[in-house]
Formats: sequence, structure tokens, C-alpha cells
Amino acid sequence: MTTMSVLNREQLGHLRHWDNLSRQLPHDWSLMQGKGLGQDDFGSYRFQLAYMMYGLALTHRHRLPAASGVFQPTMQRLMDKLLLPDVWMYWRDTSQGGAVVNAHLTEGLGEEWDPVVRDNIMYSAYVQSCALMHDYLFASDRYAAPGSLTFRHWSFFWGGQEKCFSYDRESLNEHIYWQMVQNGYLGVACEPNCVFQICNQPAIMGFRLHDLITGGNRAEEVVAGYEKAWSDFGRLDADGHYNMFMMEDSRAIIANDDVAPWIDAWCGALMNSWNRDFVRQHYSSQVADFLEPRPDGTISVRPSPPMAAMGQDVIVDTCDAGWVAAWVSEMGDQATLDGVLAHADRFMNPTWRDGGLYYPRNDTPTDAQGNRTEIEPMTGNVLLGYARLNVPDGIWGLYNRPWSPEHHTEPALVEVERDVEVSRAEVIDGVLHARLRRDRALPGAGTVTLARVPHGARPRLDGTEITGRADGDQVVLDVPDGPAVDLVLAS
Amino acid sequence: VTAPPIHATYSLIDHDGNPVTERTYRGRWQLVQFGFTACRVVCPRALAKLTAALSALENTTGPAAVVPLYITVDPDRDSPAVMKSFLETSYPRFTGLTGTTDQVNAAKDAFKIFTRRRDLPDRPDEYDVQHTAITYLIAPDGRPARYWPDTADAETITRDLARLLEPRTEETHP
Repeated sequence: MTTMSVLNREQLGHLRHWDNLSRQLPHDWSLMQGKGLGQDDFGSYRFQLAYMMYGLALTHRHRLPAASGVFQPTMQRLMDKLLLPDVWMYWRDTSQGGAVVNAHLTEGLGEEWDPVVRDNIMYSAYVQSCALMHDYLFASDRYAAPGSLTFRHWSFFWGGQEKCFSYDRESLNEHIYWQMVQNGYLGVACEPNCVFQICNQPAIMGFRLHDLITGGNRAEEVVAGYEKAWSDFGRLDADGHYNMFMMEDSRAIIANDDVAPWIDAWCGALMNSWNRDFVRQHYSSQVADFLEPRPDGTISVRPSPPMAAMGQDVIVDTCDAGWVAAWVSEMGDQATLDGVLAHADRFMNPTWRDGGLYYPRNDTPTDAQGNRTEIEPMTGNVLLGYARLNVPDGIWGLYNRPWSPEHHTEPALVEVERDVEVSRAEVIDGVLHARLRRDRALPGAGTVTLARVPHGARPRLDGTEITGRADGDQVVLDVPDGPAVDLVLAS
Repeated sequence: VTAPPIHATYSLIDHDGNPVTERTYRGRWQLVQFGFTACRVVCPRALAKLTAALSALENTTGPAAVVPLYITVDPDRDSPAVMKSFLETSYPRFTGLTGTTDQVNAAKDAFKIFTRRRDLPDRPDEYDVQHTAITYLIAPDGRPARYWPDTADAETITRDLARLLEPRTEETHP
């Protein structure tokens, strides 16, 4: 397998930032808090956690396939956070309805603590797909264990007995599938009564990953049903943009009347997994409505228009620039991606912290010259990095080009200390090639561990054979100080 | 493959006018398909496929203790007589089940069947009913045993049925 490139400084910076965020102490959400109240919009932790995991998966699959040790621990830490009640307790309230579009439903709905038992696909599908993504990428059964996806809450101060809802990758996948069946494959609702097109894309990805693990064909079935169900309503509105959602009770479609960039971009970025021709057919005309050329080749993304309802200004993180960047990266539109990232680098305060790169939240819409400066944590922490690390058709490839079983027999870096940076890791003709750099500014033992070492293979660093230390059937190597070194493991 | 998380209960009328429940067919496997007789695409395809699967099964294993059931999602139009005429003409292996709207809704809920009535623009006085096209298999003891999505082909269903039924067939037909 040949990868796209050696990772550059910015790409490595995004990976480091995600790793840093994954290591924050429980309930420490520093740098991740959006401007909206609660956990309802893109300021929510669930989206940041899940799309960091998606970004890690894309990078591992397409850029560093022989470095599971870079990705697996980070994904596990992010998964642990995704299960924290801070992330899902909003559902206790949101499950009761009362949203502007369906205020009439409140009498029929009660408080629901289990965050995946009904509706709320905007959370459940991320737990499902991220758990399956982990197990697929690493040939693991970590989330197959009963209770491995358990949602717990208990407080000393209120609420009585512990709330505890136990699932695993199988039971959660089954549960979401049967909700999909019961709803005629239209999809599972997010907030009660609201079935969003986009929010069912992660579930479809999850079904596909489940099929790859178990050998089933549920994704094919769901996609066929989903296509048929939505054919009645139409994927696109009259202006050619993706319809946003459908109301379950009235079957009314809510279109993208405000032509909000995030709706098309988010949907297109993920729907490309199974519906590539359609997504690509409409991409150019859709994205043209959102892009604003700016000086020196920079490209600004027009933000969603402000909203008001019930006499209130709606304050949410829309993440338009971030979603457009992610979508553009999936489409392989490199010129546009370069322009959007150049804009962010010039006007959105790229910041390095503990070796990680991010763009800190800024609520100010523009600078004095009118250049857009507003940026949300989801965009600044996650989506710009996702876009920079993705490859053309990255999500499509994850869905349609699974690794062969041989991948898990090839030599790989299965453990990587925190202070080691891996910018290349691939196997070509049975030979492992990696580029490593030790970063003394970070804690760690400065080692990498090689596994599945072919008989007779010897590691060389910049051409010099080294011995390493045997650890069972694995080999531990010290990464020297100084500039990056090339590791070759060959006979 | 896990068993479908359904309750597999119903209280309906068969196409000869007899009251039936899931207990009526205890001791035999129930192959259950939901649909409606005016269905133009999904049901004819599914019923033909299941007929082919059952024929192939019997060609290899002999008579099987399977009761093919076709439960309507359109009780307003699918009376017992309508169902009997439709099935005996084209899919004689199947027994049609219908009932009141409440009875049919209860069966749909138990089997997690989605339906949506839809007007037909080209025929203003008619309608069709979008519906889940999953096929369920209920074991002789009444437990949900298996299901197949609409995308499963006849060969798959035949193979699965043969694997599931063979020991039981011997038990019930010594």
C-alpha cells in the first residue's frame, strides 16, 4: 500500500492537538466550549469528540496505516470521553421536546435518561460508528464486550440511584438498525420528531463498519431502503441544496431555506461514503453559493444568516467554514481547500500549544478590514484539522476500500510514546518505512514498539542497523534526539 | 445473525374467516410477510421470492413444517375474501391474515412494521401503502428466530431455512 505523503508540520500539529485534548482530565473541556448554551449545537462535545475520531480514522487509513500505536490509544481516550454524562445528559432534557419546530409535542414526551434508546441519533450514531471504527481499524473486540458502551450517571447530591444503561457494539448497532426499520428507513430522529438527512449518515457508516467486521450486508440493505424512502421527499430542495430534515408526524420537509453552508457541507462530506456520484454531481453548484474569494488566494466561507425565533436571537455554533473545509477535502477540491485553510491561517489566529495546532474560539465576526475572524471550537479544534488530514474521497475509501486481512499481519508501530512524532508509517512490499522524531518538550520515554516483525528483518535508522530491545515478539526502539529519522524494517 | 427484537404476537382473521393468533400455528415454523394485495412492486416480488424459496426447500428436504403467512397492512381494502382470491390465484402457499384496523396496528407494532399511506397522483381515488418488507421466521415455540431483509435473495432464504428447519422437520415428520 502506498500512502499519500509524509505528514507536514501542520498535519502533525492537528494530530498532537487531538491527542492533547484526549488527555485532558475527566470533565475538563478546556478549549472545547462553544458559545451556545448546553450541548445542543455544534459547540457540543459529542461532535468534537466524534469528528476527532473520524479524522484519526481517516489519517490512519489513508496516511499512516502502519502506525496503529499513534491512533488507537487516542481513539480509546476520546471514546471514554464520549461516554461521559457531560456529553449525553442533555438528552434527559431534549428528549422532552419543546423545540421551536415541534412545540406541540411536549405533552406526549417524557424525560428519558437512556441517551440511545429512542431518537437522539445525533449522539447514538457517533457512539455506534466510533466504537465500530475503532474495532474495525485495530481488529479489536474492545467494544464487543458486554457493557463496553455503558452510560452511567450518579450524583452524591441528587437523583437517587445510579442511572446505568449498558450496550456494546452489537447491541447498539442492532438497536439503531431496528429503529431504522421501524421508521421505514427514513432514518432515526435527532430531537423528537426531526429526522435529519445528515445525522443518519454516521449510522450508515456504522452499519458498514459492522458489516466489515461481521461479514453481513446490513449497510447495503439500509442504503437501499433509505434511498427509496427519501425518493418521495427528495434529497435536494428547489434550489439544489440538501433538505435539512423531515418532521415525522406531518412528513413535512424542512428545506435549507437560509442556504446555510453547514447543511450541504456536513451532509456532502459524509454522504460521499455511499452516494459519491450524487454528491459529486451537485457539489460544484452548491459550494459556489458559499465561497467568497478574498485577497492573495484566500477563500472565506459565507456564514449562515443569523436566526431568531420566539423573539430570541438564536446563538449557536454553525461551524460553516469548518464543515465546508471538511466537505471540500472529501471532494478533493484542493484549490478551494488551500484557499479556505489559507484564510484560516491568516485571519483566525493559528495557535500552537504543547506541540498541537488549533484555532482558538473567536466570537468576533470580522476584523476591521471585514475579513471573517469568527471561529468555533468545532472548527478550530477539529474540522480544519480533519480537512487538512483527509484525502480526496477519504470517507468514501473508508467505506468502500476496506483493508484486507493481510493488513493486520504486516509489521507496524503498535506503541508510540507521547514524545515521538510519526510523520510516515507504511508498508511497501513487506518493508516497513517510517519517519520518527523525538520531541523533548513532551513527556515520554522516546520509544516506539514494532510488532509483527518479519523473520530476519532488521531495523535501520537513517541507514544504520540498530538492535532494539526484544519485548516478547515485539521490538522496542529508542528514537534519538534531533531531527526526524527514517526507520526501515527489512531483511 | 441475531433474532429480531420483536414480540411476534397477533390476533387476526385468516382468509377463510377464522380467528387466529400466533398460538394457532404453534408447532410449526411461521414465515411472516407484511404487505397489501394492491401492492404493485414490493409484495409480488417478495411473495414470488418466498414461494421460490419454499419450493426449493421442499425439493431438497421434502415437505417442511412451514406456514407462510401474509399479513395485510391495508385492512380497509383487504378483506378475508380479497386476500383469499389474491393469494389462491398467484401465491397459493400463503394464508392471508387481516382484521380490524386496531388488530392490524397491534400486529404491525409487535413486528416493528413501518407503514405510510400515500395518495397516488395519477390515480386520485386510490392509494398505496409503503411498508417494511422484512420477512420474519417464527419458531415452532413462538420465538422470533430469524429475519431477512427485502434484499435477501431466494437462494439465501432457502439455504437459511434448510439449516434452521432440517432437525425440526425430522422431529415433526418422523
